Amino acid sequence: MATSSASLHRHGHVGGVIEDDHAAYQRMVRMLRIGLWLFIISDGFMFTGLFVSRFYLLGGTRPELSQALGLIVTSVLLASSFYMNRAETLIEHGDREGFLRCTLITIGLGLGFFVGVVFLEWPLAASHIGGPAASAMSSVFFMMTGMHAFHVITGILFLLVIYFNGRRGRYTPQRHWMVEACANYWHFVDVVWIFFYPALYLIGTPVALGH
Amino acid sequence: MAASAKVVYCLKNRHKLQIRACPQERGVMKYLRHFLNVSVLVIITTFIVSLLLEFLPLLPQQASVEAISIDTMFSMHFRVISFLFALIVVFMLYSLVVFRNRGGETDPGDHFEGNTGLEIFWTIVPLIIVIYFAFIGAQSLADVTRTEPDALEVDVIAFQWSWSFEYPAYGVTSTTLYLPKDRQTVLNLTSRDVIHSFWVPEFRVKQDALPGKDFVRQLRITPIKTGDYMVRCAELCGGAHAYMNSPVVVVEPEEFEIWLISQQNAGETGDSVTRGKALAETMGCLSCHSTDGTTLVGPTWKNMYGHEVTLIDGTRVMVDELYLRRAILQPNDEIVEGFQPIMPSYEGLLTEEQIADLIAYMKSLE
Amino acid sequence: MKVLKLGILWGLIAQCAGSIIGASLVMFIRILMGRAPIVNSWRVDEPLMVVGGLFGAIGFMYGVGALSDWIKIMRGREAPLPHGHDPRGWSRYFGVSYDHKVIGVQYGITAVGVFLLAGLFALVMRTELARSGLHILRLDNFNTLIGLHGIMMIASILIGVAALMNYLVPMMIGATDMAFPRLNAFAFWLNIPGALLVTSSMFFGGFETGWTGYPPLSAHTFPGVQMFFLGVYIIGLSSILGALNIIATVLCMRAPGMTLFRMPIFVWASLSTSLISLTATQLIGLSFQLVMFERLFGMNFFNPDKGGNVILFQHLFWFYSHPAVYIFVLPGLGIISELLPVFSRKPLFGYRWIAMSSLAIALVGFLVWAHHMFAAGMEEYLRVPFMYSTMLVAVPTGVKFFSWMATLWGGKIETPTPMLFVLGGITVFLFGGLTGPPLGTVSTDLHLHDSYFVVGHFHNTMFGGFVYPFFAAIYYWFPKITGRRMSETMGWLHFWLMTPAFWLMTGGMFWVGLRGMRRRIADYDPALGFDTIHLLVTLSAFLIAISVLIFLGNLIYSAFFGEEAKGNLWASRSPEWQVPSPMPEHNYDEPFVVTGEPYDYGLPGSVYIDLHPRPPEPVRGQPPQLEPATGD
Ligand code: HEA
Ligand code: HEA
Ligand code: HEC
Ligand code: CUA
Ligand SMILES: [Cu+2]
Repeated sequence: MATSSASLHRHGHVGGVIEDDHAAYQRMVRMLRIGLWLFIISDGFMFTGLFVSRFYLLGGTRPELSQALGLIVTSVLLASSFYMNRAETLIEHGDREGFLRCTLITIGLGLGFFVGVVFLEWPLAASHIGGPAASAMSSVFFMMTGMHAFHVITGILFLLVIYFNGRRGRYTPQRHWMVEACANYWHFVDVVWIFFYPALYLIGTPVALGH
Repeated sequence: MAASAKVVYCLKNRHKLQIRACPQERGVMKYLRHFLNVSVLVIITTFIVSLLLEFLPLLPQQASVEAISIDTMFSMHFRVISFLFALIVVFMLYSLVVFRNRGGETDPGDHFEGNTGLEIFWTIVPLIIVIYFAFIGAQSLADVTRTEPDALEVDVIAFQWSWSFEYPAYGVTSTTLYLPKDRQTVLNLTSRDVIHSFWVPEFRVKQDALPGKDFVRQLRITPIKTGDYMVRCAELCGGAHAYMNSPVVVVEPEEFEIWLISQQNAGETGDSVTRGKALAETMGCLSCHSTDGTTLVGPTWKNMYGHEVTLIDGTRVMVDELYLRRAILQPNDEIVEGFQPIMPSYEGLLTEEQIADLIAYMKSLE
Repeated sequence: MKVLKLGILWGLIAQCAGSIIGASLVMFIRILMGRAPIVNSWRVDEPLMVVGGLFGAIGFMYGVGALSDWIKIMRGREAPLPHGHDPRGWSRYFGVSYDHKVIGVQYGITAVGVFLLAGLFALVMRTELARSGLHILRLDNFNTLIGLHGIMMIASILIGVAALMNYLVPMMIGATDMAFPRLNAFAFWLNIPGALLVTSSMFFGGFETGWTGYPPLSAHTFPGVQMFFLGVYIIGLSSILGALNIIATVLCMRAPGMTLFRMPIFVWASLSTSLISLTATQLIGLSFQLVMFERLFGMNFFNPDKGGNVILFQHLFWFYSHPAVYIFVLPGLGIISELLPVFSRKPLFGYRWIAMSSLAIALVGFLVWAHHMFAAGMEEYLRVPFMYSTMLVAVPTGVKFFSWMATLWGGKIETPTPMLFVLGGITVFLFGGLTGPPLGTVSTDLHLHDSYFVVGHFHNTMFGGFVYPFFAAIYYWFPKITGRRMSETMGWLHFWLMTPAFWLMTGGMFWVGLRGMRRRIADYDPALGFDTIHLLVTLSAFLIAISVLIFLGNLIYSAFFGEEAKGNLWASRSPEWQVPSPMPEHNYDEPFVVTGEPYDYGLPGSVYIDLHPRPPEPVRGQPPQLEPATGD
């Protein structure tokens, strides 16, 4: 990835010492890391807003959903986070093949989750609690899962980018910020689901067909 | 460097720094006179400003028990505002006059960087003031929301853009809010469409009316002055929000009883035209329609009947009884040219006889 | 053909194209589903509008060139920052530039443009209110104008705040640029399609909700509300990304020796502001998005008949929009704190307290949002706790005021134009702030809520907290940008016309508000006797407009013919004034080293920064200390 010439310029000739490229890269990554975390905090506020809205509107009730499917997609997503972590570790150790393999598995599991929620759970839920327009409860369910699914899709796009760049050999054990960023983003999306899953599937008394 | 360390440094190295004296050392003495001046000025200004605020008619008349408690709160606020505004502005103007650069001076101002004691002082004092205000604010709120067991219940229904008042205990519905003096009324507010807000400035208190049957909100008012007031919708509700006013009449309890009975027997007195006229007044029609030819928000009713009107789509219709019925029940299906589709529908609010009475009244306005 | 090279032109073209593509996409999908491509007419067909608007915005970003580097990076290519390759001259302000100074000026121009438009709306609105019974505007148009005036002014403030932060923060902390220059440019350019979308709501029937967009009204009003929501959403995104950049810059890019408590005070204000916009903005986005979806997909978050709750929207909305008012003022108060020491030739009194009060205001500001809902029918038990928290905000704000007075005390005060605006801002904001506690006390707010008293309150706070300091900042830093100074005479005229007119305007607003004038009404009952005062308010609005025109004239005239000012015009200690104006391309040829306190005016021999530090002797076995200092 590109190093910032701004940072090079700034630190490049302090005290007349020309730094090596690597130190500048490290500094750049430190900054990018802060940027990513700030972004995640910001996005987290949005998800928190949704989460709180769910309790505000539905209180102690929850939609009647397929428990089995919920458990399966959740496990799939958690597994994907594991492979994401593997991929990152492998590229750190210079194992490009392994990295590519694990990234691919992550993508597959991510897609699995997405298909499970959007193409299986949604029609199923619609038959229990009605479509998004049926009631506040169904609206909340579709909004929360939809917003999360949107993040999953962007995560998958990101994963594809690092996969193809990885195939071109862009990442080295020393330089793979993009992989790290993608991994952290993916874990974040995963953590959000860890909150959403119980809020939608476990907490409260189930109600079918809306309010 | 912390401020105190700086003073020490400055005192020790006075000769090196070539300054006459250390500011902190002589600060108080030098500024004593100025402080006295400013204090006097602040007191005078505070006094003038608060007198002004006290005697200007800033608030509408006090027509409810709640208003008394709220106005006490107001005058306390006004006093604090007078003082703080005077304090800062006088300090600022005084500094501007006394410590200004009188042209071409190049030496800087006195060097002092801060004073922790002072900072703590002006953190703690406002803290105490605001906590005290929140405390009496809570008491005043408790005053305003105090409930009385024998309160008169009125169901208030807001809709775009008018009000309707029901007295469930008496089976009376009206578009004018009649209230007995000196008795608490509890208003159960709901809305049929969007959010509206019930506000009679003379009563001070205000409460939004929310749509949805689970969202009835209460407002308690104890009127203490007879007279005519106006409830004005205080929450933007689209279109004719500005005109969403209905009359409020506070009367002596005996009169209130008489009014209730007259309402219960309404429709039995007078001829159709007089009843129609009374209806037009109580239903709030006349806040939008005139009977003397002037154009308000809606077309005038003078010489309306029996003439043709042009609608906004260019068609011309004859104003007959059928048209008038439609105009009252589905006002926005046919819009008169030059006007906007803002008239509320009175479907379900008026009985067949009442519509007939209104039409009779409109017919009579030649 | 220089014009053809301007990025903004291509952005606008691409926005049109994007809108058409987006709308066609919806039509295409509908045809596939066997439905009519357009419902009613395209002007009320909301899916068409929203998807078109969204694609249009993306189109703009692509067309202007704000995405090209990222596309390159995603495709695995190198995309080095083209520093030093910007075109010189005026044209660089109309295309993508990564230089924070250029972006700052771009933000500034946009802010002034949006401000003028919003001010124009206000003038039209005020004309309607000049007398009771006037019917110049249709009621729905009047209601649209209120909302547009409010939201465009707020957008103008957000953009103006970004202008100040972008231009000043990197210079003040001794950085060559922001932490993420590409993101910076991206965030700026988002505002153009955003502002265009908000304005375009006028052409889709407008919206009748005011800037607060409360459902259920916003769920039922004209389709224009979708454009308003979408535009604000995009401007909000810009605000989030800009804030992220500022925080990263302040944390990572400070010059050696610049500890947190040696930063110029404006940097503290920027940091606090950015903490708010980074986080809270998401909530207004969410609340607007929920209403958009309610309209598009018939969802029921706020529909009480289907289990929704209209109060939820207000909680989400104010969770942003209250802290947002501190986004508006903190940078303005930072400017005031920055300029006061310069013009009183004295150290800033209680530097640390002022710095910490910004943070305190930002943090306490998160806990007070429900004071906008005292009369809204929210959970009643929340009213008293929110009254307490609201009143608490007065305390850190007070610390600023008292410290400012102590800064002036005993100074050698000079009053050129920037200082006039600083002092004007202090008084105007003071009165606005002092009218906050009566609003924050529940019982008095039950009278004041949704009255013109509130209108007076927020015009005082926003003018005093932002508009005045913004003008001060322009007069003050104009020489830094152009190398010329603005005319003092015209500046003086601007100030002395605007200030009395402003006091007359809000004075009238407070008066009628207390006496029972509601906000957001197109007409008022003549029986209330407000006609004279409203006429005065309208007249003073026009006087303010004239003063703004004088300012504009001054701005344009001085940019070309102003008196040259290349040196340290105000004898400031701030780093950016230690190098010649206009600011060199890379700010500081060599990074400076901070050796003293920022505001030690009047302490002989003290310096804040050392522009030409001796190279540190490399210690054997240890790399030279190059990291910017963190922490104090
Ligand atoms: C820049 C913007 C800005 C700022 C800084 C503020 C500052 C404050 N605001 Fe304001 N406010 C708005 C912009 C702003 N506001 C807007 C836009 C609205 C309307 C939104 C809408 O509905 O459209 C609004 C509405 C609003 C309401 C809702 C009114 C209603 O609709 O019913 C309330 C209620 O509590 C409130 C309170 C306060 C308070 C307590 C402060 C405090 O922060 C003020 C603190 C400052 C001081 C108090 C002065 C200095 C202090 C001292 C000198 C110390 C000593 C002081 C004491 C001991 C009191 N504001
Ligand atoms: C920074 C914020 C800001 C600023 C500066 C202003 C400035 C002004 N505001 Fe406004 N105002 C708001 C923020 C602001 N306002 C908000 C948030 C609302 C609430 C909206 C709502 O309720 O939803 C509001 C509401 C509001 C109302 C209440 C509407 C109502 O509730 O019925 C009124 C009424 O008088 C008003 C008036 C004015 C006037 C006369 C000015 C004047 O100061 C304007 C001065 C004029 C100019 C600056 C124009 C100069 C331009 C020219 C001379 C033309 C040149 C033009 C071009 C080249 C395009 N504003
Ligand atoms: C909020 C204002 C408002 C109120 C209240 C109101 N109207 Fe109207 N009315 C209008 C407007 C505006 C029009 C013209 C547009 C239209 O035709 O809908 C109108 C039109 C009419 C017309 C048709 C007039 C014509 O010239 O063709 C009749 C009849 C009428 N109203 C009767 C009533 C009656 C009866 C009431 C009360 C029970 C009433 N209105 C209350 C605003 C109002
Ligand atoms: Cu009803 Cu405003
Ligand atoms: Cu607020």
